[in-house]
Amino acid sequence: MTNHWIDIKNSDCILIMGSNAAENHPISFKYVTEAQHKGATLISVDPRFTRTSAKADMYAPIRSGTDIAFLGGMIKYILDNKLYHEEYVAQYTNAPFIVNKKFKFKDGVFSGYDPKSRKYDKSAWAFDLDNNGVPKMDRSLKNSRSVFQQLKKHFKRYNTKTVSNITGTPEKDLKQIYKIYAATGKVGKAGTIMYAMGWTQHTTGTQNIRTMAIIQLLLGNMGVAGGGVNALRGESNVQGSTDHCLLWHIWPGYLKTPRASNVSLEAYNNKWTPQSKDPQSANWWQNYPKYSVSLLKSFFGDNAHAGNDFGYDWLPKVDDGKAYSWLDLFDAMYDGKIKGFFAWGQNPACSGANAAKVRKALMKLDWLVNTNIFDDETASFWRGPGVDPAKVKTEVFFLPAAVFVEKEGSITNSGRWMQWRYQGPKPMGNSLPDGEIIFELGEKLKTIYAQGGSFPEPIRNLKWDYTTDGTYDPHKVAKEINGYFLKDVTVKGKNYKKGTLVPSFAFLQTDGSTSSGNWLYCNSYTEKGNMAARRSQEDAPNNIGLYPNFSWCWPVNRRIIYNRASVDRKGQPWDKQHPVITWTGKKWSGDVPDGGWPPMLMADGKPNPKSRHAFIMRKHGHGQIFGPGRADGPFPEHYEPLECPVEKNLLNAQRMNPTAPVFGGEADQWATCDPRYPYVATTYRVVEHWQTGVMTRHQPYLLEMQPQVFVEMSEELAKLRGIKNGERVIVSSPRAQLEATAVVTRRFQPFKLGKTEVHQVGLPWHYGWVMPKSGKEDSANLLTPSTGDPNTRIPETKAFMVNVSKI
Amino acid sequence: MSKSFLIDTTLCTACRGCQVACKQWHDLPAEETVNRGSYQNPEDLSFETYKLVRMKEEIVDGRLRWLFFPDQCRHCIEPPCRDAAGDPAAIFSDAASGAVLYTANTKRLDREEIIESCPYNIPRASSDGVLAKCDMCLDRVQNGLEPACVKVCPTGAMSFGERDEITAKAKTHLAGAKKKYPQAQLLDPDDVRVIYLTAYDPMLYHSNAVAAATSFDVTRQVALRRMVRPLADLISRLS
Amino acid sequence: MEVTRRKFLQVSGATAAGLAVSGMGFDLKPIAAHAQMLKTQYAKETISICPYCAVGCGVIVHTSRKGDGRVINIEGDPDHVINQGSLCSKGASLAQLIENESRITEPMYRAPNSNTWQKVSWDWVLTEIAQRIKKTRDASFEKTNAKGQVVNRTTAIASVGSAALDNEECWTYQALLRAMGLVYVEHQARI
Repeated sequence: MTNHWIDIKNSDCILIMGSNAAENHPISFKYVTEAQHKGATLISVDPRFTRTSAKADMYAPIRSGTDIAFLGGMIKYILDNKLYHEEYVAQYTNAPFIVNKKFKFKDGVFSGYDPKSRKYDKSAWAFDLDNNGVPKMDRSLKNSRSVFQQLKKHFKRYNTKTVSNITGTPEKDLKQIYKIYAATGKVGKAGTIMYAMGWTQHTTGTQNIRTMAIIQLLLGNMGVAGGGVNALRGESNVQGSTDHCLLWHIWPGYLKTPRASNVSLEAYNNKWTPQSKDPQSANWWQNYPKYSVSLLKSFFGDNAHAGNDFGYDWLPKVDDGKAYSWLDLFDAMYDGKIKGFFAWGQNPACSGANAAKVRKALMKLDWLVNTNIFDDETASFWRGPGVDPAKVKTEVFFLPAAVFVEKEGSITNSGRWMQWRYQGPKPMGNSLPDGEIIFELGEKLKTIYAQGGSFPEPIRNLKWDYTTDGTYDPHKVAKEINGYFLKDVTVKGKNYKKGTLVPSFAFLQTDGSTSSGNWLYCNSYTEKGNMAARRSQEDAPNNIGLYPNFSWCWPVNRRIIYNRASVDRKGQPWDKQHPVITWTGKKWSGDVPDGGWPPMLMADGKPNPKSRHAFIMRKHGHGQIFGPGRADGPFPEHYEPLECPVEKNLLNAQRMNPTAPVFGGEADQWATCDPRYPYVATTYRVVEHWQTGVMTRHQPYLLEMQPQVFVEMSEELAKLRGIKNGERVIVSSPRAQLEATAVVTRRFQPFKLGKTEVHQVGLPWHYGWVMPKSGKEDSANLLTPSTGDPNTRIPETKAFMVNVSKI
Repeated sequence: MSKSFLIDTTLCTACRGCQVACKQWHDLPAEETVNRGSYQNPEDLSFETYKLVRMKEEIVDGRLRWLFFPDQCRHCIEPPCRDAAGDPAAIFSDAASGAVLYTANTKRLDREEIIESCPYNIPRASSDGVLAKCDMCLDRVQNGLEPACVKVCPTGAMSFGERDEITAKAKTHLAGAKKKYPQAQLLDPDDVRVIYLTAYDPMLYHSNAVAAATSFDVTRQVALRRMVRPLADLISRLS
Repeated sequence: MEVTRRKFLQVSGATAAGLAVSGMGFDLKPIAAHAQMLKTQYAKETISICPYCAVGCGVIVHTSRKGDGRVINIEGDPDHVINQGSLCSKGASLAQLIENESRITEPMYRAPNSNTWQKVSWDWVLTEIAQRIKKTRDASFEKTNAKGQVVNRTTAIASVGSAALDNEECWTYQALLRAMGLVYVEHQARI
């Protein structure tokens, strides 16, 4: 979230699309309700009518996988009716940038496309630069090659009739929603988006969010209270685990995993540190080398020094142009290339797309380690449905973890708040906190590799001193993540002693004199104490619900990021009722500003050269309406899902995203517009269970409310298929079959795509055969396909094709 | 001062925190259920389920509505079940809070008569004949805490407090709700301590949402007791 | 850690005690229920954050000071500025997540082709896993790739998980995996 949970109350219009917050983030509705009470409009757009829709002022249905068409229509509506925030768009976004003439869009592809590799040469999407290397701009937005005019041209095709024929949303609903939401473009008004996996789990996932980000920039909704682009993250610490980068492509703090071509630390830093020639661009990532070197110091401590590139060579490199993502990982495992596997606090046998393939892949392993609190379908895959244990060679180790209240440490919520948790009871039985297990495993490896082995250096040299009285101590790790001064140093005229904690990332150095396990968290545990443990219930003087001394949030306790865009060029808030920051003439008041530089204009209206552009994390300092870094195009474009019910994309000549990865092995069957699988399907969650259900299916109270996997369908479809409410049916996709209870409901309605009627069904993915004990309730992910977004490679589990039949 | 609840169904998201918090606080067991083609589960209140969020899909004014109704004992101001029982060791109203409380002695009552007497069809019997229902979390209330179902509610759909505060709050909520839902109404606000606010005709939510017109009609025995009560109150004040 | 201000209700007559019950016919006096003690009265209170969605709601954990010191109640923390005491159905059920007889509380091992789990010790299981890592890693370790570039990695071991770990655990885990040379490192954020 660019903003945070409490801030939702400041909104004038809340769009919940691609998420179902009332069910999956229930306490968010405290603030949605408060906003509604103050007059905000709540809009729910969802394939089916949900508990969120039940509270909405306006509900509209949408066929799964057509969000870009829906939102693209809104962009056209905003531009056609001049409802954008003109000053904001001209000053804070890259709308005035001039795009190079090589950039074109034709037949559904942008210039630079290579059909063979299914990739773009993005150099065709560059900005024109002036003699100093700064992007050329036309702040009047009139230049035909400006981003603004190109945007108009691109979305001209997205008229409501075409959009309606794609999405199945009635035209009158589209127009009404466009009107209500676009009204937040008025200066002083704020609209917010609450989205989740309903947007990310598509072959167009990144561009779904890009489309909304463009809308938010056009309407001036970024950086303001009650605005932003808000991903409702689904796990208590999925924000933290992402920040610390338990992901193949990034290192803690969103640094890049080095590519094989980054042959030295210098080459690595040069490659990934963006350069801006604009003296007014903060280009915050210019500090990259400070963060990477400080991270290496945290990895390897005293063993890392300038003489050995701070241990850079000890860390693994990935091949250029190759992905090692979820789908790739299980594809490699299916092919027998992976021998050992950790599933730590995760249940891929149910959680991953095409779970049937995942379950087969697990059989190819030599050994599997699963850490969890209950038995799950991954640990017990060898005794799963249709599996003969005698034929499964895999050794399985199950490590029993303590539950969250049995240990101490911090987690980071969706609003980026890092919150400290305390131990209540001791771990049950012989279960152990994950941290202790990890630490002890590290000790064993260090012992073994002390005696030799392949390339033992990284294991031997890994800094591994996180114990107090012989036991893993989360405070020691939290301090390492924050970082230390490793020498007596003087920064900005102040002396800092060796061994003291770094006050914030502005103090990190490239010379090895500081450590920081994650620069984004530098400021979280300082000489002032454990900031995440703070509990003050006092709001800040601007009284918009920031609660600056309750817990701590990254970066540097800034509660609303991009907040320099919440003010005009003189530093005065667009929204006087809900000021995020305000320039007092000498300094900023309110939230921690996005850098302390003065406003763009001085009091007399003259430009202030000491100022910086509003979007400090962007190389050029401007919000990106044109996004030349994406794999699938600088502007979003509607493409159909891999599996869809229509032969033709009504907006362009490409049926599906031309850059989306599609796996084609024997376990990756797929079918589109196939009469055997005529119905659109999607997956989702319900409030009563969580994720694959490992933590909730064992709880009688939760199972009582939602005891069985179900498939929701319209009354019309049920009639067509002769299905009665409450009876068991078979849901089949090209990959698997799943038995489920039919929930026949008016909350699903057939979609009218022009003259064609299309049916959709939906299933929760919370179930698995281990529990409930009948063994008959299994994962909806058995049905989902092996494809995903070309940028993130997040699988497309939210739109695929199935059939439903009576048993 | 006695207590009351306001349950503003226009704010309820059916997260069912209340349904679970009730079971959790009372250490009530979960029931074995199946999916009957509905999210609502268990199907009904029971000896082990004092609070149940009822869910119904209705078309109102041409629009689909998913109506949520967190059902529970209304803690009637003049509870027919208490009067039908006529046995304060089995069913009584707590003087301080107004909570209508059932004890294990309900076993000796005529269970059909008690259940029949309830205008909202709330009490449920165990196999051995003991009756049970919501007890207002009186242990919590006596110790200065809100009932578990109220405390857990994220949106403010449930509130609890002094009777006069709650009746005032009910009026404020009603006035606010009427702006969006012209048919909004409070259900039996003068007769019960658990005042519901619905956006539409209460019968769309649940057939026992309001007391049936005849519900507060009483048996001769009950009528007799009621006639005596003013006298009893007088006597108690004298004593 | 300190649990500060609590939002107490203004309760009058909460301590009224004495149940005057005749047990016969009907009673002539108003009745007051006996003041009851909370089941959490003498419990240890700690604060934590709900482990489900990422709203980050505060909870109060009541742990018995008697016997085996287990959890007797978990409810919303009224002093938490986000949830202010409220929770959803999953949050309301948290005590059942912890005090659950289905929890696995001993390390377990399933041998190749076996149809059963066996209970093992921590020392055994971690030693065995470390040996498996070494065997697989050393057999598969790539110092350079096909182009001859230094890569120092193994692609024969993979890891998924976990957003269920604390920040400090995530950091420690990724450091260990990267020191082992893993590149197949993924977790819930991808799916």
